[in-house]
Amino acid sequence: MAGTDMRDGSLTGLTENEAKEFHGIFVTSFIIFTVIAIVAHFLVWQWRPWLPGPRGYTQSMIDGVTSLATYFT
Amino acid sequence: MWRVWLLFDPRRALVGLFTFLLVLALTIHFILLSTNRFNWIEGPRPQAMITDTISSVV
Repeated sequence: MAGTDMRDGSLTGLTENEAKEFHGIFVTSFIIFTVIAIVAHFLVWQWRPWLPGPRGYTQSMIDGVTSLATYFT
Repeated sequence: MWRVWLLFDPRRALVGLFTFLLVLALTIHFILLSTNRFNWIEGPRPQAMITDTISSVV
């Protein structure tokens, strides 16, 4: 297991196929995680946007939301 | 890209990644909980609203 027989350039002892197989699963999992994170952030934004206008959140919620809405449309 | 797993041991990489993500998630959630606007458990504190309005008027 140790990196002694590193002739094939693998420091971790994985073969090329094992590395590719793991990578496939890793990338799929990463995409699923990211989609979940995007959905979560979208929902939180619907609940309370987190980019305050120049005068913060409390100036007036309506101004804040409209300024943010224009920011994104 | 898959060659990265010839350099970094997948098991240690996953343990490190999960630990990092866990600490980051806990940090962010507690930061949000400590704020007035994003505290989803107790919501905005009344007296904080008053001080906010004063500070926004002054």
